[in-house]
Amino acid sequence: MQQVPNKLTPFFENLNFERDDNTMVINFGPQHPSAHGQLRLVLELDGEQVVKAYPDIGYLHRGIEKMAENMTYNEFLPTTDRLDYIASTSNNYAYALAVEKLLGIEAPRRAQVIRTMLLELNRIISHLFFIATHALDVGAMSVFLYAFREREYAMDLMEDYCGARLTHSAVRIGGVPLDLPKGWIENLAAFCDKVDHEVEHTYEALLSQNRIWRMRLEDVGVISAEDALNWGCTGPMLRGSGVKYDIRKEEPYELYSELDFDIPVSDRCDSYGRYRLYMQEMRESTKILRQLMPMYAKSDSQLMAHAPQYISAPKEQIMTQNYALMQHFVLVTQGMRPPKGEVYVPTESPKGELGFYIKSEGEPYAYRLKCRAPSFFHTGLLQEILVGTYIADVVTIIGTTNIVFGEVDR
Amino acid sequence: MAQHQVNYASTAGLPIALTSVDKLVNWGRSNSLWPLTYGLACCAIEMMASGDSRYDFDRMGTIFRASPRQADVMILAGTLSKKHSEFARRLYDQMTEPKWVISMGSCANTGGMFNTYATVQGVDRIIPVDIYLPGCAPRPETLQYAMMMLQKKIRKESANMNKNTKQDLTHQTGKRARLI
Amino acid sequence: MRKYVPKGNVQKKAYYTDRFHVVPRVPRNEVEDAHFASVVSVLKADIKESYMELGQLVIHIDNRSNFDVIKVLKEECGYTQCSEQSAVDYLAQDNEFELFWQMLNVNEAKRVRVVCRLPQGMAIDSIESLFKSANFAEREMFDMFGIKVNNHPFLKRILMPDDWEGHPLLKTYPLHGDEFASWYEVDKIFGKAYRDIIGPENRDPSKIDIEDTKRFSRVGYEVPFGGEYNSDTKEEIEYSDTFLVNYNKPKSKTLDERR
Repeated sequence: MQQVPNKLTPFFENLNFERDDNTMVINFGPQHPSAHGQLRLVLELDGEQVVKAYPDIGYLHRGIEKMAENMTYNEFLPTTDRLDYIASTSNNYAYALAVEKLLGIEAPRRAQVIRTMLLELNRIISHLFFIATHALDVGAMSVFLYAFREREYAMDLMEDYCGARLTHSAVRIGGVPLDLPKGWIENLAAFCDKVDHEVEHTYEALLSQNRIWRMRLEDVGVISAEDALNWGCTGPMLRGSGVKYDIRKEEPYELYSELDFDIPVSDRCDSYGRYRLYMQEMRESTKILRQLMPMYAKSDSQLMAHAPQYISAPKEQIMTQNYALMQHFVLVTQGMRPPKGEVYVPTESPKGELGFYIKSEGEPYAYRLKCRAPSFFHTGLLQEILVGTYIADVVTIIGTTNIVFGEVDR
Repeated sequence: MAQHQVNYASTAGLPIALTSVDKLVNWGRSNSLWPLTYGLACCAIEMMASGDSRYDFDRMGTIFRASPRQADVMILAGTLSKKHSEFARRLYDQMTEPKWVISMGSCANTGGMFNTYATVQGVDRIIPVDIYLPGCAPRPETLQYAMMMLQKKIRKESANMNKNTKQDLTHQTGKRARLI
Repeated sequence: MRKYVPKGNVQKKAYYTDRFHVVPRVPRNEVEDAHFASVVSVLKADIKESYMELGQLVIHIDNRSNFDVIKVLKEECGYTQCSEQSAVDYLAQDNEFELFWQMLNVNEAKRVRVVCRLPQGMAIDSIESLFKSANFAEREMFDMFGIKVNNHPFLKRILMPDDWEGHPLLKTYPLHGDEFASWYEVDKIFGKAYRDIIGPENRDPSKIDIEDTKRFSRVGYEVPFGGEYNSDTKEEIEYSDTFLVNYNKPKSKTLDERR
């Protein structure tokens, strides 16, 4: 069969792979098993050392910010699932919180308890995923299998609550759609015990003192506190460099001001310190979840905020009361119209500071929505911290930044 | 003398009974499908989950390969953006025959919810697809089911199939064109 | 008559607005907080307008003084992180962009939004030498809005391909993309000659093509998978209001297996 010529000449074919100064250019990605998605790196190597790194992103750009300008506020909520698809609820929540702040409403107590529970559960899911993929990239296959085993239990809990494994949409603007199912709290308690046990006896037992793991992570990917701030690092990347800043503590939202938990900080500034930090954060998350369980029992049964101008009434009222039905009809067909204004709300997602900037012109469609994704800035950091490292450490550093391309490219 | 020349490449005429060879070859092909780990977005996480502890894809003879040269099936899991599309086609071209494609998730099937400027509206615009797997994101069980459907499909095919005859990218009836 | 669509803004609009509808505004408060008051007093010369909006200080500045203001914020007021920066398109209304920088003071947990207006065609000064995080953020702003940035080390498209035409987040850019965008992957991979073969994108998720016998089947018109479209008269099928009552079984064709 004769080969028909086509015009398939990607950009990297135009790169000059041979240089006068004896460096070699290597293309990494966009489809590489340890690139955590669609990261493309163009690395300039001198021997085995990286001289220059150029991260190329945008291979998962789906136009989510543009979609926000063409969707009503409630329509857009499921789209936020696909930003950081490892911990969907934290995106849903960040978006819902931004809109709620714009509307000036507050979710009822029980919704707050459920939301905080889901956020922390998502943090555990995301951190388990981090340790699984990070260990796999570095070469520890069994940790991958163990971590995914525990992650499946957490997925079961999420599935019991909202019906989806990955794309939850478990939060609505103004509250949560559903109450917790029967027996969920007991399962959650059992899961917390399991996570605590596994973190100590499986992951840390397998990794913390593992010679290979320590050799590959210690003093790799060192970021000073000043650099971390300068490059816009947040979350574990910032705390791993010794800056104690956690939005849950410093600018508390939801129930975090009432909860007792610690912010783990590491001043090692390297990948190993960050790994320890992630493990510690999972323990803190289970601690928070245990405190939330009695709070749930004490709370009222109302799930959605009462704001007829913006939020539909409960289903029973829609079915029985004419005015509630009319409101619901208008809100569904036209969408809610928040007041004019702009808002930026930061939240602490598992990856770092996830914030939504919303500019409203009083229309049912957002005039501009900007998603401040932590991974976007962590990807930018790669061009600095990869320089001077060895090629084998590149995957370690990509793993330790814990980037997710859904939110990098949006 | 060479009076009975058989053109093995162009015709479907293998010199022995086709049915048994077909069955034998297809049995081999269908039971050791090695997919290319082509995770693009959210569905990639479910693809990883299906290869892991609970769902355990290995028991079906499905072992994920990171290189297109070693893979038989391309599981296109996730949103294919326009910027990435040329790489998808390149990876498909790099795979050795016979090769099959599973389009996993709504985004890969039709563009799904991302009806925007940056998303390819269905990967079948650029590569021929054998199995469309709906869902956003499809559960690991459904990916395994899709793999079993693909096995069923392979068992029905001719062992000496010329893949080029089935790569039909046209959606409109009436127009027939072959793409390499 | 074709429906009038304003060219300056092709994004979706509310299809109905009550003519008595008054749009309220999120309250803008006086600066009372001691920390924010000190920020305002330090920057007094540059600030055009300052107020509190939903717990954050917003300062409006001139587009020529953005570098100086942010430098003062960083060095004197302790705003050591630039969380986010981007633009909002007001070209249709005022022929201007609105640019904002979202600053964070890590020690005091305070946030300031610096806002300026930039007329179309003008370039803004880069703050990359102050905050490295602006490197990617400014590239994204250039990519999405076409706003040029002075003194940026590597101003190049970041999210869209290098050979892309248009800036997607402008209000004049349609959600489904323009002509160039809709054929991008076909032109790139196969060449323009293949446009006819592959056909236009289907942007309508509810499109039904009855002649496409691969994707659609119809009761009473059964054809094998991928077969010719059957336009014969339909077999009699009896429906009640909702259910199929009598499907004339002996007369109907039974396909072994559709696929």
